[in-house]
Amino acid sequence: MPKWSVLTIAWLSWAVVPAGAWGQEGPSPVSYRVDVQAVLAKAGCNRGTCHGNKNGKGGFRLSLRGDDPAWDHQALVRDQLGRRIDLLRPEQSLLLRKATLQLAHQGGKRFGTDSRLYRILLHWIEQGAPDDAQEAPQVVELRVDPRDVVVEAPREEVQLRVQARFSDGSARDVTWLAVYEAVDQRVEVTPEGRVRRRSDGQSTVLVRFLNRQVAVRVAFVPRRPQWQWQGPEPRNFIDRLVFARLKQLRINPAPLCEDVEYLRRAYLDLLGRLPTAAEARRFASDPRPDKRDRLIEQLLQHPEFADFWAQKWCDVLRVEEKQLDRKGVSVIFNWLRQSLQEGKPLDRMCYELIAARGSTYRVPAANWYRANRTVEERAENTARVFLGVRLQCAKCHNHPFDRWTQDDYYHWAALFGRVRYKILENRRLDRNDKHQFDGEQIVYLAPRGEVINPRTGKPARPGFLSDVPQGPRPGDDPLEALAAWVASPENPRFVATQVNRVWFHLMGRGLVDPVDDFRDTNPAVYPRVLEALCEDFTAHRFDLRHLIRRIMRSRVYQLSWRSGPENREFAELFAYTPLRRLAAEQLATSLAQVLQTPLHFNGYPLGTQATQVAGVRAVRLRDRPPGSGDRLLLLFGKPPRIIPCECERRPETTLKQAFELLSGPVVHQLLTRSDNVLGRMLRQGKSDQEILDYLYWSTLSRPPQAEEQVHLLAYVRQHRQGRRRAWEDVAWALLNSPEFLFRR
Amino acid sequence: MRAQAGVQAEQAVWRAGLLSRRCLLRVGGMGLLGLTLPRLLQARERSPRLPQRIKSVVFLFQFGGPTHLDTFDLKPQAPEQVRGQHRPIATSVPGVSVCEHLPRLAKVMHLVTQVRTLHHRMKNHNPAAYTALTGHEPPVDDIRLRDTLELYPAYGSVVDHLAPNTNAVPTFVAYPYVIRDGAITPGQHASFLGKQHDPFLFTEDPNAPDFRLPELTLPQGMSLARLEDRRRLQQLIARQTRLLDQAAEAAGMDAYYRRALEMLNSRRLREAFDLGAEPEKLRRQYTRTTYGQCCLLARRLVEAGVKFVTVYFSRGIGGQSTTRGGWDTHGFNNTRMYPIIQKYHLPLTDRVLSTFLEDLHSRGLLDETLVVWMGEFGRTPRLNKNVSRDHWPYCYTALLAGGGLKAGYVHGASDRHGAFPDRDPVHVGDLAATLFYLLGIDPATEVYDVAQRPLAIAEGRPVLPLLG
Repeated sequence: MPKWSVLTIAWLSWAVVPAGAWGQEGPSPVSYRVDVQAVLAKAGCNRGTCHGNKNGKGGFRLSLRGDDPAWDHQALVRDQLGRRIDLLRPEQSLLLRKATLQLAHQGGKRFGTDSRLYRILLHWIEQGAPDDAQEAPQVVELRVDPRDVVVEAPREEVQLRVQARFSDGSARDVTWLAVYEAVDQRVEVTPEGRVRRRSDGQSTVLVRFLNRQVAVRVAFVPRRPQWQWQGPEPRNFIDRLVFARLKQLRINPAPLCEDVEYLRRAYLDLLGRLPTAAEARRFASDPRPDKRDRLIEQLLQHPEFADFWAQKWCDVLRVEEKQLDRKGVSVIFNWLRQSLQEGKPLDRMCYELIAARGSTYRVPAANWYRANRTVEERAENTARVFLGVRLQCAKCHNHPFDRWTQDDYYHWAALFGRVRYKILENRRLDRNDKHQFDGEQIVYLAPRGEVINPRTGKPARPGFLSDVPQGPRPGDDPLEALAAWVASPENPRFVATQVNRVWFHLMGRGLVDPVDDFRDTNPAVYPRVLEALCEDFTAHRFDLRHLIRRIMRSRVYQLSWRSGPENREFAELFAYTPLRRLAAEQLATSLAQVLQTPLHFNGYPLGTQATQVAGVRAVRLRDRPPGSGDRLLLLFGKPPRIIPCECERRPETTLKQAFELLSGPVVHQLLTRSDNVLGRMLRQGKSDQEILDYLYWSTLSRPPQAEEQVHLLAYVRQHRQGRRRAWEDVAWALLNSPEFLFRR
Repeated sequence: MRAQAGVQAEQAVWRAGLLSRRCLLRVGGMGLLGLTLPRLLQARERSPRLPQRIKSVVFLFQFGGPTHLDTFDLKPQAPEQVRGQHRPIATSVPGVSVCEHLPRLAKVMHLVTQVRTLHHRMKNHNPAAYTALTGHEPPVDDIRLRDTLELYPAYGSVVDHLAPNTNAVPTFVAYPYVIRDGAITPGQHASFLGKQHDPFLFTEDPNAPDFRLPELTLPQGMSLARLEDRRRLQQLIARQTRLLDQAAEAAGMDAYYRRALEMLNSRRLREAFDLGAEPEKLRRQYTRTTYGQCCLLARRLVEAGVKFVTVYFSRGIGGQSTTRGGWDTHGFNNTRMYPIIQKYHLPLTDRVLSTFLEDLHSRGLLDETLVVWMGEFGRTPRLNKNVSRDHWPYCYTALLAGGGLKAGYVHGASDRHGAFPDRDPVHVGDLAATLFYLLGIDPATEVYDVAQRPLAIAEGRPVLPLLG
């Protein structure tokens, strides 16, 4: 018997299902706060796409997902001179006539006059449409059964049961009144809570009732009696956990990637560039069976590792010249680079960032509060970067998909209420540009500083973003208390956020994705992998290299990009490794490396690599046109670092990129410079074979195949306009091949 | 009164169109009461089309903020401190007058639709320009408004997202500047819709003798034939890994190569950018200025099938020079508004805009092309101590032309000082809705921002009384 039905039986014995207000047998008082609000949600009235939109719809605005029942009551009962509710002729109420499409309604028919939803609303209006704010019970728990279920074919659906427990001790079956939401198209959910298979695989269904939400994991698997596991042997706990789940889902992962693919991944992921021809040849000719592991160790100690991983931090810490100025950008980049180089534990580094104050020139970490100049920015961005919480929704209303309330927002913001900065000087070039600061600043803590909660109109009490109310003790330094609370092994959100971000950088997608959006309604795709990695990371004292090593040694990291029909749809389960276009820095560095011609970055000495460019724009575009390197970084999506979000880095391919690679000035110039590698090799009298080999090993990390060898050498020999031009064409073709442009 | 009823009837028709869109809320098999989720909704973004009434929009953005009181909404009866120095002259439309420094435009006002009551609340250039370029007011009227992915996309990017051209011709072209007031002005690109919807942007000067587009120009030593050779080699190498067959990401990149090559090979597109093909006389009529040649180019782009052309009048807000720059005439640094606009802005606008409209009209393009001429705001009704005017977003004038709108029509009226709408106010969001509506895109279509919030592409409603 499948697991879920056992649970269902257990649940049924636990459930108490009173008839109450919703029975067929007749009126008992309808609660506005419980029943009517549930109906508005169930009928979809207060969704963000309908009347819950910030502008409402058709002049009728409800709070988003019933966030503010008092407001909604006003909107229902008082607005429009009370036409929405007609107490004398309840059935004539606009609310009912619109929703049942007796009157034209943009939102269509929401329910019929014979429905239970209709009767609840009608009955409430007949009662006089009161708000029972004082007496209505709160939901204290929402129980959904099953919470995590695997359903095997031929079974095609599973019924969810939902029970709400209230503050007055009562409990009700709300299966028919809860709201169901499928997060992808693998399943559909009926209004009655039946989850139906649309395709195989794992999916999440959100169940919501009033202000409570629960995420349910549902997987449908094919029967496949002949199916056999063909995946690789697990190597560490990541593999064991991931493969166990894939087995359960009857999905075989892709095979392991080839050495050359592994080599390129490792260089791209750790150093931000492809291996050179020499590095690639050395790896190819290394006969040792553990050469992949050895490569990780070698690259983790490489100085370019710290450069490239400091860039990842710079992206989210908003390291750009306008606010931090050139010196500030360089100061914090060097600090990050050094911290990574010396293996500073990540919790320590984060502690220093959050607690920092002082001169932004002398205390590098203080630039975090220089980059984030308002209380709101500091609060939202600290939550986002260090705790993976997107708090900004809660600034104006309770977070619709998360637990955070508007009060939580202001308690958290109040922690930053005393942070101030003093501008010692500002040599900015453009007086109109109020974002620009050029000069030393001091971040300090003022003796006082209140943040007003607009809901109460009173100063908010400083408090952490935790499930139980806590905050700094009186007399504590608020930033130090905050930093100690955030960057702590005891803070599961912090640990998970940091682990998940490293996973994201290596695997291309977070276990929780997006990486700064941790919430109950966005569960990790492999919750136990995340947990296990967190334990491991904590046990190894927040050692970044250890974490990277752990992930890169796993079979899961080493799965091939070659997906098959069985796993093609399961990229988010990491059943294979999807292609990724080289990121801006990776592409720029690799292009320059292949052609052995430096790119120009304004404001940096010639020979600087893209991964060593600390900021975004050292020289303003209007003062000097962008250098060749600057152009590439901009075009291929290096983020401007204005919002502290990985989403700011644009991974998409665009027409402009194709134009640049095809016939643009930068690539053309790299190819045609007389002192580039082609020029040098031709002058040194290298043979065609030598040149071809170099180009292949440096761009694709492999020798040419027979077909390529024959064709390309013939192309060069027969070219009427000379070898040089022919070699430019061949080099162009290699640099424009998908094998070069994509990490696979 | 009757006109009002007519408008209501049309609005009812428009709503009925929405109703069918709403039915789409049931796609995805989630049932009537199923809740919404971003990914599912993304499928729904593509709403059924409304009838497409026009093929193209040319948006002539007048950065700095032209004074409405001294151009199209003159108040000769107002006190001197309000009415200023310009006298009205009669136009080709009885009862409609324009400023005496716009004699050529006066002769083509029968082609023009004026909206005299455009309004919003942003008093700083960047927030106001963002509002004008997207139809959405930003959360704060802060000079520090930064160009982030949290802000709305430009009109043309929305069009490219929802109703793109599928041939070699780009959907959205913008030139010849990236405009900025201190910081780069938001609203010029695709923002959260993704870089693939950014405009085809260039900053080369169409008035320069060697004007060419870098993208459509091969570097020295390159030829289309050589590119084809290279492409063959590229395909040979690609065959070895089968990446193109097996990975959508690589195939997507390859599709862009194909499109780029198509564009390079497209005579139609190359010729569109070849202003040398125009008779010298017409080029001179458009004036041999950057702005004039930009407008001439806009006509050629519309002919080639570009759906949204944005021309920026100036790179910055200007207002202190008689030879260049935008319309920001405060009288700062001991300058004065009247001599500046009389010498530069008005004559240039008069010649370029009148030529542009006549040219479109004589070629029959005006029926399917909507021209929009507007700035980010108007200017203060009362002259300041410098006999100049400051920022005023609460009521100003936009010129529309073509697109099947009522020609020679004036929509709405400002009060006696041109300070606030007196009748028929039009919010910038309503104008945005009108543009989308005419292009056959439902203005209520929702797109998803980086926080996955559903946001309507336009917050207003189409101004249906403008339609002929």
